[in-house]
Amino acid sequence: MNDLVLISKNLFRKKLRAMLMLFSILIAFLIFGVLAGFERAFNAGEDVAAADRLMVVNKINFTQPLPIAYVNRVRALPGVRQVTHFNWFGGYYQEPKNFLIVMAVDPETYMQVYQDQIEIPVDARQAFVRERTGVLVGESMLKKWGWKVGDRVPIMSNIFTQKNGSRTWDLLIVGSFTARKPNVDTNFMVLQYQYFNETQNLGRDLIGWMALNTTSPSANDGVAKAIDQMFANSLYETATDTEKAFNKAFAAQLGNIALMVALVVGAAFATILMIVGNSMVMAIRERTREIGVLKTLGFSGGRILRLVLGEAVLLALLGGLPGIALAALFAAAMETSVGNFIPGFAVTPGIALNAIALMVGFGLATGLIPAIAAMRLNIATALGRS
Amino acid sequence: MRPFLLQVAAVTLINIKSMPQRFWLSLSTVMAIALVVVVLLSFLAMANGFQQTLTSSGADDVAIVLRGGSQAEINSTVARDQVRLLEEAPGIARDADGKPLLSAELYLVVDGVKRSSQTKANLPLRGIGTAGAAVRKGIRIVEGRMFNTGANEIVVGKALLREFQGLEIGQVVPFATSRWTVVGIFEANGSVFESEIWADLPVVQSLFNRNNIFQTVRARLQTPAALDALQRFVDADPRLKLDVKSEAAYFAEQASQTSDLIQKLGWPLSITMALGALAGALNTMYSSVAARAAEIATLRAIGFGGFPAFIGTLVESLILAALGGLLGSIATTLAFQGFSASTLGASFTQVVFSFSLSPALVIEALLLALAVGFAGGLLPALRAARLPIVAGLSGS
Repeated sequence: MNDLVLISKNLFRKKLRAMLMLFSILIAFLIFGVLAGFERAFNAGEDVAAADRLMVVNKINFTQPLPIAYVNRVRALPGVRQVTHFNWFGGYYQEPKNFLIVMAVDPETYMQVYQDQIEIPVDARQAFVRERTGVLVGESMLKKWGWKVGDRVPIMSNIFTQKNGSRTWDLLIVGSFTARKPNVDTNFMVLQYQYFNETQNLGRDLIGWMALNTTSPSANDGVAKAIDQMFANSLYETATDTEKAFNKAFAAQLGNIALMVALVVGAAFATILMIVGNSMVMAIRERTREIGVLKTLGFSGGRILRLVLGEAVLLALLGGLPGIALAALFAAAMETSVGNFIPGFAVTPGIALNAIALMVGFGLATGLIPAIAAMRLNIATALGRS
Repeated sequence: MRPFLLQVAAVTLINIKSMPQRFWLSLSTVMAIALVVVVLLSFLAMANGFQQTLTSSGADDVAIVLRGGSQAEINSTVARDQVRLLEEAPGIARDADGKPLLSAELYLVVDGVKRSSQTKANLPLRGIGTAGAAVRKGIRIVEGRMFNTGANEIVVGKALLREFQGLEIGQVVPFATSRWTVVGIFEANGSVFESEIWADLPVVQSLFNRNNIFQTVRARLQTPAALDALQRFVDADPRLKLDVKSEAAYFAEQASQTSDLIQKLGWPLSITMALGALAGALNTMYSSVAARAAEIATLRAIGFGGFPAFIGTLVESLILAALGGLLGSIATTLAFQGFSASTLGASFTQVVFSFSLSPALVIEALLLALAVGFAGGLLPALRAARLPIVAGLSGS
């Protein structure tokens, strides 16, 4: 009889107790998987940020505008490979609760600057440049609303009105794009800045912010300083930062999500650590006499230690692995419904590996005390105890 | 009947007295349930605190006027001509001089630095006219003074000061090329206005290039019912494509979005954790029944019924759950009551709020704890009641 058989026989000797412990471990790892996936999605902006990309926003706040004339002045700076610009449209579809991420961009430069993130078919690229009322719609947005390329969709804005008083822009879907990296969210659409600028009624020739690629990440600091100095003391001062830092600060605005996740996961783990740890101590104590017999048969202290630790680790893995699998299924099922709010919600291989490491650590932690007690057990006492 | 009750009481007492024998196992159940309660209550306290901050902001007798379809102050624009028309609208209260109590305001977003994370966050800068403070009730300068008209001076809400740095009295805050001095700190009954920075409207308009542009109009109504008259007036005039709401309704809408979201995260999480704790409770109670098998069988042998054994076990479980629930509630109160936090509100700016527990929330959490105790005690109690006497006596 090898040790593994012995371990699993021991574990399932009291079936009900084993099942209850497995269940509570499963719950803890389910919570861990879901929350870790949530947190990762939340910080996805940091992960997808390109190392050579800078964001230029109005120094007062990124909701304040910049003049369009800045774009060409930034483009002329040494170290700048390409620059593009955005306007937040405040879009929604049919009713305000159907909030959409819609931005007005300069087609050519937008597609150049963001080619590392999104993949656009050639015909869609050409159509977007050519068609004045055209929009490119991300794959996941297209799927979510059941739109097709070639559809004309009425998009409303809660910020802008057209000169004719209408709040609706009829936009033609000329193509769609897909993500080049797994964490890139495609739940947004872009329309032509020129069309937007000519039709909307609030201030002309203003842009929301600029994004640019530098010639290399080592040029970032120099370019950022040069931009902010160039516009210092003007009516519109700028603040330039890396895309990564910008996305991080943006995510932090919602609150300390990482801390919240850590507290909840911590509470869930503390719970099972106590429940399972205590049950393990009890289970081993009940088997004192048997351990005495094993020792009499010649099992060494070290082997007994391994047996008990192995039992605890096996328990953690048998409970934890289905827990993580369940979390992955849950995330996959939720992707369409929460995608708008937290894009990229998924249990990644990285999270799963972390979880497995935690399971082993957890098993060792709950098994350690009873294992040491069993290892040190004196045969005479063990057999004497009733 | 009486002997039966005595039996129940006697067995329950035995159960309770035997709890210290399973001290660690019982403690782990209590702690597991306590942690479930802590998680649930901290989410509920967060949602409740946010909601309280926003709902205390809105008055029934203040109307807020936004550009049609704009939903939030930040998206809205109102032209000077429209403000003039509104000044003549019916239903608006007037001050001693007969001027309408109406405040056209500008709502801009500026950067502040959050103390906790040292990252930039969106703060609202509100340009208000002379009627601005009068339209709102309960505005009080608690330190320093109000800004002077025409000066680059700001007053800062008390809550904002707590979460963001560099806004103390006397500090100079640069917004682009203009520099502003903090001259006062104001209170607003714990409302969302305490998360704002206020300055003189014309100064904000000129320094931010927004001459003659307003974003919202607030008006004090003669009575809450006067909203209808104002609404009809606006609807009837084609030049006024504006939405009219009571301030209370406006903030209630914004509050529900965020606090619903927090609750939608908190409840499923807590219930999932409660299932984990339930497994622990079942484990503990089955152990309890197993440990007392001989005792229960003995009692049955001398004539006690099965029902007292059932009740005894169930009560033990409920006591553990109640202890866990109380412990969790006390821990949450100590750790989180009044805990200050801030998040992005509907107007895309930070709203500072405090976690707030209420008796109703604590009762909800205690009910969840007792539900875990009940479910965790039921099956073991049934086993105790049905324990065959002979097996129990020969068991150990």
